[in-house]
Amino acid sequence: MQSEKTKSRRNRGALVIFILVVSAMTFLSWVAQSANAEVKPAYALVNCRIIPIAGPILDKGTILVRDGLIEAVGPADKIKIPPDAEVIEASGLTAYPGLISAHTNLFLEAPEPSEPRQPEDFFQSLTQPAEPQQFPELLVLKQLKPKKQTIESYHKVGITTVVVAPNRGIFQGQSAVLNLNGDQLQAMVLKQPWALHINFTTERGLYPSSLMGTVAFLRQKFYDTLHYSDHWKRYNSNPLNLKRPEFDPFLEALIPFVVDKKPVVFQCNNQEDIKRALRLIAEFRLNGLLTGCNEAWRVLELLKNSRVPLLLNLDFRPPSTSLYAQQGDAVRKKAEAEIYPANAAILHREKIAFALTSFGLSDSSFLKNLKLAIKAGLSQEAALRALTIEPARWLGLEKQLGTLEPGKIANLILTRGELFDEKAKVVRVLVDGIVFNYEEKGQ
Amino acid sequence: MRTSLKKIVVLSTILTILGFSASSLLAGGNLLIKNATVMTVTSGVIPKGDVLIVNGMIKQIGQNLTAPPGTRVIEANGRYLIPGIIDTHTHIALSGTNEGTEAITPEVRMADVINADDPSIFTALTGGVTMVHTMHGSANPIGGVNVVLKLKWGKPSEELIVKEAFPTLKFALGENVKQSNRTLLPGRPQRYPATRMGANAIIRRELLKARDYMAEWDRYEKLRKSKNPPANLIPPRKDLRLETLAELLRGRLIARCHAYVATEMVEFLNLAREFGFKIGAFEHAWEAYKITDELLEAGVGVSVFIDSWAYKIEAAEGIAYNAAYCAQRGILVSINSDSSERIRRLFNEAGKAVKYGVTPDEALKMITINAAKQLGVDQIVGSIEVGKQADLALFSEHPMSAYTRCDLTIIEGEVYFDREKLLQEREAAAIKKGGN
Repeated sequence: MQSEKTKSRRNRGALVIFILVVSAMTFLSWVAQSANAEVKPAYALVNCRIIPIAGPILDKGTILVRDGLIEAVGPADKIKIPPDAEVIEASGLTAYPGLISAHTNLFLEAPEPSEPRQPEDFFQSLTQPAEPQQFPELLVLKQLKPKKQTIESYHKVGITTVVVAPNRGIFQGQSAVLNLNGDQLQAMVLKQPWALHINFTTERGLYPSSLMGTVAFLRQKFYDTLHYSDHWKRYNSNPLNLKRPEFDPFLEALIPFVVDKKPVVFQCNNQEDIKRALRLIAEFRLNGLLTGCNEAWRVLELLKNSRVPLLLNLDFRPPSTSLYAQQGDAVRKKAEAEIYPANAAILHREKIAFALTSFGLSDSSFLKNLKLAIKAGLSQEAALRALTIEPARWLGLEKQLGTLEPGKIANLILTRGELFDEKAKVVRVLVDGIVFNYEEKGQ
Repeated sequence: MRTSLKKIVVLSTILTILGFSASSLLAGGNLLIKNATVMTVTSGVIPKGDVLIVNGMIKQIGQNLTAPPGTRVIEANGRYLIPGIIDTHTHIALSGTNEGTEAITPEVRMADVINADDPSIFTALTGGVTMVHTMHGSANPIGGVNVVLKLKWGKPSEELIVKEAFPTLKFALGENVKQSNRTLLPGRPQRYPATRMGANAIIRRELLKARDYMAEWDRYEKLRKSKNPPANLIPPRKDLRLETLAELLRGRLIARCHAYVATEMVEFLNLAREFGFKIGAFEHAWEAYKITDELLEAGVGVSVFIDSWAYKIEAAEGIAYNAAYCAQRGILVSINSDSSERIRRLFNEAGKAVKYGVTPDEALKMITINAAKQLGVDQIVGSIEVGKQADLALFSEHPMSAYTRCDLTIIEGEVYFDREKLLQEREAAAIKKGGN
């Protein structure tokens, strides 16, 4: 330990990573323990209409929930209610799987970016390397502060599960999947990390300061990761003739995504971003997904050929690069109202896989824009799938989430009225079998 | 460049009707243009000439041609048909111009940041421009890899790229490089270089690095291919910066160097000789007239402005006769816009060259076939010849006349700009708006 310390400052990074990993492991195991310790009650939701996604709609059915999981789903006359279950009368209500928003910045409270270090003397100013704000190793979980109010507002639009992604820099960091089941972060984690998030942005005053520089920077880092990983692998299996590679926390953090093909999510703010991302995904054979993509409708052929899944946001504002944003307000507003809302409908017609997300929108505008997308031609069924089973699949959580089936996590919502109707209201939400009641008094 | 205001004016007037004009203009790549004054550029002028275009290619040039049924016929009424204008130096249709934080950035590629929605594309079409060499800026001694585009307005970015063109790498010398070294963040050192000698030195240093890099890879490849490769042979690190420079040294990339004064151009010619790389052209090259012997010996052309001599300190010894004199000495000269506004009147720039001693025919070459030669596309465009791609522009008067204007711009047989139609549509749109 002492010799390591004195060896060099470089190893400090390694130490930080080590501590990070150990602490992550410790609290994950703690989460598992606490989940086992807590005995959850059993519920029987009776007499509700059920949209299970996995099968035909049941007009009058029962859902049994035990220990946070769905125990049974079926027609009212076929399901026997166990004596210990608390019965929740749900006649007049419709049950759906909880919605999944596969890209949010929920609870994210990132610290202010630190000012670049001032050089201490002239010599240092000449030798000091640039320190870009790049953190592929960042785990978003470390920057989250859950708030009860936020959770409630998400529940009220039907969202029970979110991907929380970091939001700064080019290599933004690694996202986590959370079940919105309370206010204890550790108990919410479904998957950590899920994906590496990349944005085609620039560094303030540092390399890369331009989009072209960013693309070059990304490619260089991907090549470096492949080289670095190969070097270590060979060194570890047999060091003959090999110099030991220098530990690099940046590249180390990229290995799971570039070499081991964990998911990489590219934020695409316009059609050209989509093309840039698709080129990188193809060049480095990444397990890529695209998020944002409100101009996906302009890149249909490329998307069809690439088969890369999309996490579509419901922001209908034409991006600043778009022709529709450069011809004055009238054209821009017309495009926002008439062209961009049809994005999801067009993709669905073209059989391009997508999930819908609430990214960049408040919970109320998410719901509003979702309805606009449906009005623009997206079927309700497709919209529902894009918020349940589709994202569940890409998150690798299709065994846990996305449908109302026995064995799955009891994430479900009960609405008065059809989910996407103007007057629909979410009155009850179950997350991990924990019941949240949003029924207003007098109803 | 104070083009933003102009840009807004052009946008608000012309672009509003684009939404419903673009698709209606397409002709399926088949056209017959009748009774034009056909300025072939490479084989004289045909008065009352017809040009038949089939599948985007020039099929026939002559008189009294007939078209297959269904072909759109354009009656030129004696107007002037010229090859589409080619701008050898612009920065349009890009998201970003410089990666200015470092002096040496050959790893960046303009092809990564094409924006096919840039209205400058349409602006350029209104002036008969059909192809551009859109480049990295001049902030860096070694900038990025440029790209040649056809201005197919409304088509996706990947369909704009001209794959046949030379791959080129931007270099820059002089004031822009020197003055791009201001620090962007407090406490940061100023960017090196701050002088002309520094610019030369840093380029040389990088090229030496690239040589070492190539040698390292050669060593590796030799070992890898040997009968008994050593155990645990790993390839060197792939360095995109040096990779690009290695391509230059291997002759697969061609240098395009922004330079104003004679001394820096001669120094760069010496560097090219020392390292054995090719120079496509000097950009702007205000003092080229001083070193015509050197340019001729090296076989290097120039891409110039016409009459903005002395607009900045390093252009102080620029002269309006630069293009004329260089052309007379046998140097390949093209005229560029370097501007999203001047690009729509590049023919006027060529016209001005006539005042300073260039013949009208030669001036027209400077924005067509000469430009095509400098970009390595003279086999496919740059003149009106059978077998070439039908990139054409129809002008109301002689294209070098001060009174001329572009009426039609055609790329591969598709009409991308039709002045008359556009004006009609604009009027209709105005009436409709007024009627409401």
